[in-house]
Amino acid sequence: MARISPTFSKKISFSLFIILSTCIIIFDITSSSFQDIRNSFKSFKISSAYVIKTISIEPISSIKQKLKSKNNLIKENKYLKDALEKSYIDNYLLSRENSFFKDHEMINDSFISSEYNFFYKIAQLKSLDPNMYKCCDKHRMFVEIIEESNNDIYQSAVFNNLGLVGQIINKKSPYEVLLLTDINHSIPIKTESDEFFCNAKGSGRSDIIICSFNPLMWDEEMKLETTIFSSGLGGIYPRNIEIGAIKQIINVDSNQTDIEIELFSSPMESDLFGVLKF
Amino acid sequence: MLKYFKKILLIIFINFLDQSISSFLSNFYIIFPLTFLAYTFYVYRSDKNINPSEAFVIGLFIDLISESYFGLHALIFCVVTYIINIYANAFKLFSYLQICIFFGVLSTAYVGFTQLIINLYNFSYLMLFISAIFCTTFCIFIAALRVFFPKTSKITI
Repeated sequence: MARISPTFSKKISFSLFIILSTCIIIFDITSSSFQDIRNSFKSFKISSAYVIKTISIEPISSIKQKLKSKNNLIKENKYLKDALEKSYIDNYLLSRENSFFKDHEMINDSFISSEYNFFYKIAQLKSLDPNMYKCCDKHRMFVEIIEESNNDIYQSAVFNNLGLVGQIINKKSPYEVLLLTDINHSIPIKTESDEFFCNAKGSGRSDIIICSFNPLMWDEEMKLETTIFSSGLGGIYPRNIEIGAIKQIINVDSNQTDIEIELFSSPMESDLFGVLKF
Repeated sequence: MLKYFKKILLIIFINFLDQSISSFLSNFYIIFPLTFLAYTFYVYRSDKNINPSEAFVIGLFIDLISESYFGLHALIFCVVTYIINIYANAFKLFSYLQICIFFGVLSTAYVGFTQLIINLYNFSYLMLFISAIFCTTFCIFIAALRVFFPKTSKITI
């Protein structure tokens, strides 16, 4: 029970307050005199709620919003970067302005006839050891073809948006790419004049391949910064593709001269590659 | 001072709760006067008589925060306080069920009176009837809680 000892109510004071309340309510209903007080309280309530919300909830929600928008931006940035790289690779072969091919006739013919005598696929980089690439002889990387199909891409040329980077040397995904700079790799090259041919071997150094030849056999004089092209003789790489430029000429003896060619492309420049089969 | 501040905060909180659930319950034709029931419970549980001025001031404050006519809750609270004070000694003779019915009837009267003042043109007997059942059931539920979860007290020697 609520109360142990008897209590007595004050009838008169209750009656007074009840009469007072009744007067107030009648006065309010008939004249709306307390409307200003109600409005003031309402505005105070709204202002207080706004201030409390600004102080307590807003900072937390803004942090959350910032984190969320940052994550969205990172995702969007990655997506756009991938799409851009893919479009670079896609457009690289077909662009009339690029210097991938020495003679643009092949591309022009392709445009005119709308038929290509080659196919290419886009591949995603899966693995490349940069330390190995910088230091050691074995220069390999692994790629995976996006939108895999039944076409055989064994021994296909691999390129990025700067030029050739190597060739595929296995038949199963992920495909192993033997880079041009691997010491086991050899690419037939030539000069623009078609008066000098050579097999350039990988140097084991990043971006450098070396061509050793007998200067007595070739009349053409080698100069620094001369552009070197693929000769297409090996059957792996198409003819007349820019490979690199002569960086250094070393006369070993009267029967041997080595020229170091600095490649235009590097496998570390991008994550997406084109795999070209012709 | 701290005691009054706590009371004010509690009133604001209960009124906020009342207004929050009222829109949901109105879908089922129920008006649940939580603030009123909380106040009657406070008066009922009080060891001494509640002063009419206190009832008046609390009522006016609730009028202010619930944006109803000034004097409406002040009047009701004064009347209810007076009634509970009268029956305070008689409650000892009542069973829990009778007390629950008593508070159910009080809350029904409150709903009816407030509806007559603020919602005269849409007064609904159906709403009043359902509210009466709901409030009485709620009081019984609260009383049952006391039975199933009795208050533990320390025995001092």
